[in-house]
Amino acid sequence: MTMTNETPLLHAQPRERIGSRYAQRVRRAGGLPGVIYGHGLDPVSVTFDAKDTITHIHKGEKVFRVAIEGATGEPETVLLRDIQFDHLGTNVIHADFSRVDLTERVHVRAHIHLVGQSACPGLKTAGAMLMHPASEIELDVQVSNIPDEIEVDISGMQVGDVLHARDVKLPLPTMKLLSDPEAVVAHIVEAKAEAESGEESEVGSGAAEPEVITEKKEAKED
Amino acid sequence: MPPYKIPKRVKFRKEMRRVRDRNATKGNYVAFGDYGLQALEGCWLPSNVIESGRVTCQHFLKRQGKIFIRVFPDKPISKKPIETRMGKGKADVDYWAARVRAGTMLFELAGVPEEDAKQALARVAMKMPVRCRFVGRRVQV
Repeated sequence: MTMTNETPLLHAQPRERIGSRYAQRVRRAGGLPGVIYGHGLDPVSVTFDAKDTITHIHKGEKVFRVAIEGATGEPETVLLRDIQFDHLGTNVIHADFSRVDLTERVHVRAHIHLVGQSACPGLKTAGAMLMHPASEIELDVQVSNIPDEIEVDISGMQVGDVLHARDVKLPLPTMKLLSDPEAVVAHIVEAKAEAESGEESEVGSGAAEPEVITEKKEAKED
Repeated sequence: MPPYKIPKRVKFRKEMRRVRDRNATKGNYVAFGDYGLQALEGCWLPSNVIESGRVTCQHFLKRQGKIFIRVFPDKPISKKPIETRMGKGKADVDYWAARVRAGTMLFELAGVPEEDAKQALARVAMKMPVRCRFVGRRVQV
């Protein structure tokens, strides 16, 4: 597990005009539209510096301090709640932040990083394949302890072994698992069996024409 | 007729053409596998092209890994026979197609190394009637 030691500071300007057209103009000018909400205060639409903010987001930072231009007092501590992408998923077009205290407990999703694949005896078997349907788990955790990712060691897994969310060792005892404990985090399966069954289902689905539901009803009425 | 995928049941036999030059707002990220093939343009992707992509991918990977097909051909496309006069009602269904918008994820792969996935999906992209690109999973919050 890696944790951030220094909270990055973001500078923001309040946005007076909101809506997609004005947001597009902000993006063209090198800004990133965002919103800050929570703690019973009014939501504030703001503009961040796109380059700076997106660099921090790609690094995996989740907690920030935001200094809003014209606001009095200390910079607010905020948690990155959501990011929106464009239709191709290339560019971040909007970011949601919620106000938090460092001692507050929040619900966050942590990415699972599987380690020990090279030493895993199950994966050395011919045709074996690692599946990880759940690539992240939801945690109840203190803001100051939010992990960037959780490392899960799979070096002891054999073919057919399943690692559930309940088996993941959380880095701190204060962290609580909120995801379904039965959610499959890692599973080593035999690839050959998968492929063959897949092909059979493809061949079986071929029909000349589909059944038309409305025609059936009309026939009954007649 | 080869066993291409088509719907089992439909409400109506034929469908209007509708608009197709839009951007994808859903189904535009890698959801099930590790890597994906994303369409950069919109099209109606025929069922036989989807099947040829799947066969190409499986053949290259020699049945390693798992392929996820993220599009389903549920749109009937009608076509008048050649040398036919216009009119006389809507033509018969010629083929079934999936509605693909710019950004739609077409195929996903799991359980294979990145280099193999790249090569396999590059071969699939050659079969596709639109420009495609290889993508991985998005940044998660």
